[in-house]
Amino acid sequence: MAFDVRLRINDKVATIELKGELDASTAGEFHETVGKAAGAGAVELVIRAEQLGYLSSAGLRSLVFARQKMGDGVRIAVVGASEPVARTIRLAGFDHSIDLVDA
Amino acid sequence: MTFDFTTAEALRTAEASRPAGAAEAAGVAKAPGCGRTNALRIPASVESLEPVSAFVLGLGDRAGLTESSLYRLRLAADELATNIVMHGYRGEPGEITVDGGIDPDEVWVRFQDDAPAFDPRQGMRAPQLDVPLEERPIGGLGVFLAFTAVDTFEYELVAGRNVSTLVMRRPTAD
Repeated sequence: MAFDVRLRINDKVATIELKGELDASTAGEFHETVGKAAGAGAVELVIRAEQLGYLSSAGLRSLVFARQKMGDGVRIAVVGASEPVARTIRLAGFDHSIDLVDA
Repeated sequence: MTFDFTTAEALRTAEASRPAGAAEAAGVAKAPGCGRTNALRIPASVESLEPVSAFVLGLGDRAGLTESSLYRLRLAADELATNIVMHGYRGEPGEITVDGGIDPDEVWVRFQDDAPAFDPRQGMRAPQLDVPLEERPIGGLGVFLAFTAVDTFEYELVAGRNVSTLVMRRPTAD
């Protein structure tokens, strides 16, 4: 099951585009990318999840890592998550710290 | 990595050659009422998560689960398998047996492993919503997701084997 992660940084806004399935076997790649975004001094992190077909707790862990690495003032948004992916994020209570947009 | 797809009969034969306890463990969950039972024997590693997902998705699809139920059953199975690999065997080599079946009103997936006795539900923690995300303990989240995803999540220790069974109700035909 394919997984792809891309990072773009424009004007201190980091955008990570996720495709495929984010589970324990692919979370390492996402985690690294989150680390790069944080290291680049981004003031906002936008995660495009329109093409993310699956998210497990291993992927949620990287969202916690993102929240820890980036300062309090940094907005983290997950955009366009499918219904089950958004449900998982809400069930974990992450929607208090991360904006779910168009989900 | 080898995958061992067997029919229920072949599995029973294989179990019969094991110590009595293991054979008993295989009979813990209810016998499938209809349909065939498939099984998967895999090494306890993250590389095995994909075949576990494929197995569960195939089973749930044949059971006619709704898209949402199918997603949740797969999530629960994935989290449980991940838990066995990471916390059960703790990175040590081991094996996980996964089987499943389709009954008239439900589909079940069962995990058996020989890691030290460990009830995954005891490690479960509901998210502490009042604690900021960056300060929250992350452990137990996967099992919490698994537990809330399926209709039933049972654990038994049978002759030293960990046996966890996930059950999802099938849509009723009306």
